[in-house]
Amino acid sequence: MSLEQFKDRNVGVQNYRQLDLPQSPTTAMCKVKQVAKRSLKGELFVGLGVTVREMVSTLFGKGLHTTQYPFEKLPISPRYRAIHEMLRLLESGNYRCIGCGLCEKICISNCISMETRYDENQRKEVSAYTINFGRCIFCGYCAEVCPELAIVHGGRYETASEQRASFSLFEDMLTPIDQLSLQQEYQGFGAVSPNADDNIKKTPLAY
Amino acid sequence: MAHKVKIDTTKEITVTIDGKVCKSSYGKTILEIARANGIYVPTMCYLTKVKPIASCRMCVVEVEGVNGMVLSCQEKATDGAVVTTQSQELHKQRQSIMKLYNVNHPLECGVCDKSGECDLQNKTLEFGVNQQSFSTKEPHRPVQDWGFVSYDAGLCIMCEKCVRVANEITGNEALQLSVGGYNSTIINVKNDKFDASLGESASVCPVGALVNTHFKYTSNAWELKKIPASCTHCASGCELTYEVKDDTIYRVSNHAEFTSLCPAGRYGFEFRSSSAKVPLDLARAVEAFSKASTIQFSSIITNEEALILQKLKEKMGYKLVSKEAKAYGDFLTSYSSVSGKSLYNGDLKSIASSDALIVLGSRINTDNPMVKYHMTMASKHNRARVVYMHPLEDDALNNIVTQYIKYEAGSEEGVVALLASAFAQKSLDLPFEIKSILDNLDVGNLSAESNVGEEEIEILVKSFAKKKRFSLIIGADVYAHKRASNIAKIVALFEKYLDFSVILVPPTTNALGVSQICELDDKCDGFTIGYNTLGDFTLGSMGEVDLITPSLSQQEGTITTLNKRVVPTNVALDFEGYTLHDVARALGLGIKIDYTVGYTSKLPTSKGFKSESFDDLPNYFDVQGNEHRGYLLDILEVATDGKLEDVCPIDTFDGAVIYNANPIMQFSPHTALCLKLIESRALIGSSQFALASKLSDGDKISYNIDGIEFSRVFRIDTSIKGTFAFNPLYDMGLSSALLSSYRFSRLEFKKEGRD
Repeated sequence: MSLEQFKDRNVGVQNYRQLDLPQSPTTAMCKVKQVAKRSLKGELFVGLGVTVREMVSTLFGKGLHTTQYPFEKLPISPRYRAIHEMLRLLESGNYRCIGCGLCEKICISNCISMETRYDENQRKEVSAYTINFGRCIFCGYCAEVCPELAIVHGGRYETASEQRASFSLFEDMLTPIDQLSLQQEYQGFGAVSPNADDNIKKTPLAY
Repeated sequence: MAHKVKIDTTKEITVTIDGKVCKSSYGKTILEIARANGIYVPTMCYLTKVKPIASCRMCVVEVEGVNGMVLSCQEKATDGAVVTTQSQELHKQRQSIMKLYNVNHPLECGVCDKSGECDLQNKTLEFGVNQQSFSTKEPHRPVQDWGFVSYDAGLCIMCEKCVRVANEITGNEALQLSVGGYNSTIINVKNDKFDASLGESASVCPVGALVNTHFKYTSNAWELKKIPASCTHCASGCELTYEVKDDTIYRVSNHAEFTSLCPAGRYGFEFRSSSAKVPLDLARAVEAFSKASTIQFSSIITNEEALILQKLKEKMGYKLVSKEAKAYGDFLTSYSSVSGKSLYNGDLKSIASSDALIVLGSRINTDNPMVKYHMTMASKHNRARVVYMHPLEDDALNNIVTQYIKYEAGSEEGVVALLASAFAQKSLDLPFEIKSILDNLDVGNLSAESNVGEEEIEILVKSFAKKKRFSLIIGADVYAHKRASNIAKIVALFEKYLDFSVILVPPTTNALGVSQICELDDKCDGFTIGYNTLGDFTLGSMGEVDLITPSLSQQEGTITTLNKRVVPTNVALDFEGYTLHDVARALGLGIKIDYTVGYTSKLPTSKGFKSESFDDLPNYFDVQGNEHRGYLLDILEVATDGKLEDVCPIDTFDGAVIYNANPIMQFSPHTALCLKLIESRALIGSSQFALASKLSDGDKISYNIDGIEFSRVFRIDTSIKGTFAFNPLYDMGLSSALLSSYRFSRLEFKKEGRD
């Protein structure tokens, strides 16, 4: 197999526009001339003028053109894979995790560990759930495999903390019960496809 | 219905299955022949260890010249049959069965314990059933808690395996079918929450309907590391698998298709010891060993440890004392001196295949449940006559015992002699001297003293007349009997001349191995080291000891089982401290041997062991269920120089008698550590016993047996007959192994108040 197809970067089909640039100086004399011309023409003040204009319009007019991180953040793509979130059921507020253990099984960096037990309501209850973020590579397999859309990737991309435990426990990742109404449905890998309704087959109801 | 036609199982037949020519013997089913030849026939309800159930109809095959389909699990192959196991028609048939199994089956695989090892999951995928084609109204079926197991009827596919196991293997007969079309369920007619033998039924459940309550929802099957091991609670040494995660045993499983486990094996896995390597401890142990003159030990140890102790004896000149193993070993030696073979000839398989059984000198249901299971198999599969001879009747055996013969405690010698003389009358090849001893027995006197009626023996012999395969099971009562040696010689006659399979059930896990490997002494002398029992310096895996050693779930090694098989067991849980081998190395023994299992190949070949190294020992079951675990001991020829003695008069046991017997599920201090097992630490006696010894329910008493102080509460159990009480030994910690005298004794006690 030739490497031709890999070498073809295929830039031609995209809508690039060549800038209208003058010829670069070639001889030493031309270079000296260009420097002298630029220094004396006052081009520096053109740029400074733009800055002053923006400052005036910020102070007295339209407002800022930059984002004031960390006080404000730009919206992030729903497919971005940051620190995990554990979602709750919207109706009951119970957490969605059923303790099936598939995320633990599929995790390729072996960073998920969970313990389950038989609870008083005869259900499988997750009694301990942790993700070791020192090992997690944010591959997204856990979210993809989760049959209940219980573990998903959220938008918390700042993974700095005094203690690793600050966000690796189940309760820290779980949607706070009072913010249930703010819970966002996950759009990334493993999410319900847009045509999910069409794929449902109904069980025959003969009786 | 049973066929009366005589089947000649030696006749060779040839069957062609899927074009493959298979040779087999007459009497095998098509399925058995197919599996033996590596041909796959799908089944859902087939279980090798019970009779064909034929409820699933997945195993259908086509036979040339036969109209329609044939159930391969129950149809015996005929010579020259041509069988097809795979065809479009058969696939369609099997697929529609799977469709029916999947009607309303809850889609809760995500939480179901069985997920990952579920027959229904596997077969559903195999036959491509990806949608539900039929439906019916689902009745309300709540999960039922049956104690050790819980039953979810919604998941049940009504394969009936559990019912068959409860009837044919464990014999508790608690489960029944409640037939009602789609509403059919399994019902627990006894509803005994303490019935742990239901665990056997749960182990064969192909779906998640019957699961162990303690394990429920705690782990998925695939997360558990499976460690093949052997059960170390009793002498059966059953095959089991410890399923481990994070250095914790989550459950015990087994090859349920072929083998079974008793409740203690299945639920008794929480015994372990933990220690760190502290050089000072080792130094102290070495110091104790260098001044000791006796090592006293429990026979619940591996063969390798026994060999280390024997080598220490040879090197340092210790006395080795293990009372239970010594008594058993002496019994076996006397036995061999008449039988001419180094070991008895029976095993569990011979019990299950016999059609006439005598049990003598053992409360077999609690002493060795595996023997009881095999007796049940004999009873249910071969309609065996089961004669239970013991001073105490056992209600748990009611459904299999056909004749109960009660004898007076202590009269075992007379009883065995009476039996032998009754059977000897038929036998022609008895040597003259033996015949004359048996003929000259004072039958009247013996039967009067032992309380065994002559007519009872007559009925017994008569009922055995048409039977073919006899077994005699001898239990732990007789090993410590005063006249044990003569009893052994009389018992040996049954093997040598009377065509019986004789099984001498070892009293503890490795009594057989220890008695073969170690040269044991009678009495302790001087400074005593205790290994898993009490001594002046004690090494052990529990309690307050001077050096903590690993328990048997933390060691690799071999044990010698009731089946005369040397079976390997592996390390399930970590242990950081010192082993007996470390101590021996510090004493200069086995410097070149790295691990304890280095001794496996050095086990004495003069006693029938083989010089195979531990890592070469096989440990699996083949597709037909044949056991390939370790190796069988060679049975050696020995001199027949034993002379029968005359039967002695009997020491009578009048009044209140106590019997050293552990309750069900308990065997040893190891099982006492297992929280899932049921405990019963009281002295439990009959109401006559209470009258005779002037005790009432709830009295606290203290008494002394073999120098061990007991302090127990007395409880009355009205189901016990006679003036007897049961004294458990399992909860006495490391001193349990010191109790080794005759199991019946008169009770002399002090009252200490009320509970």
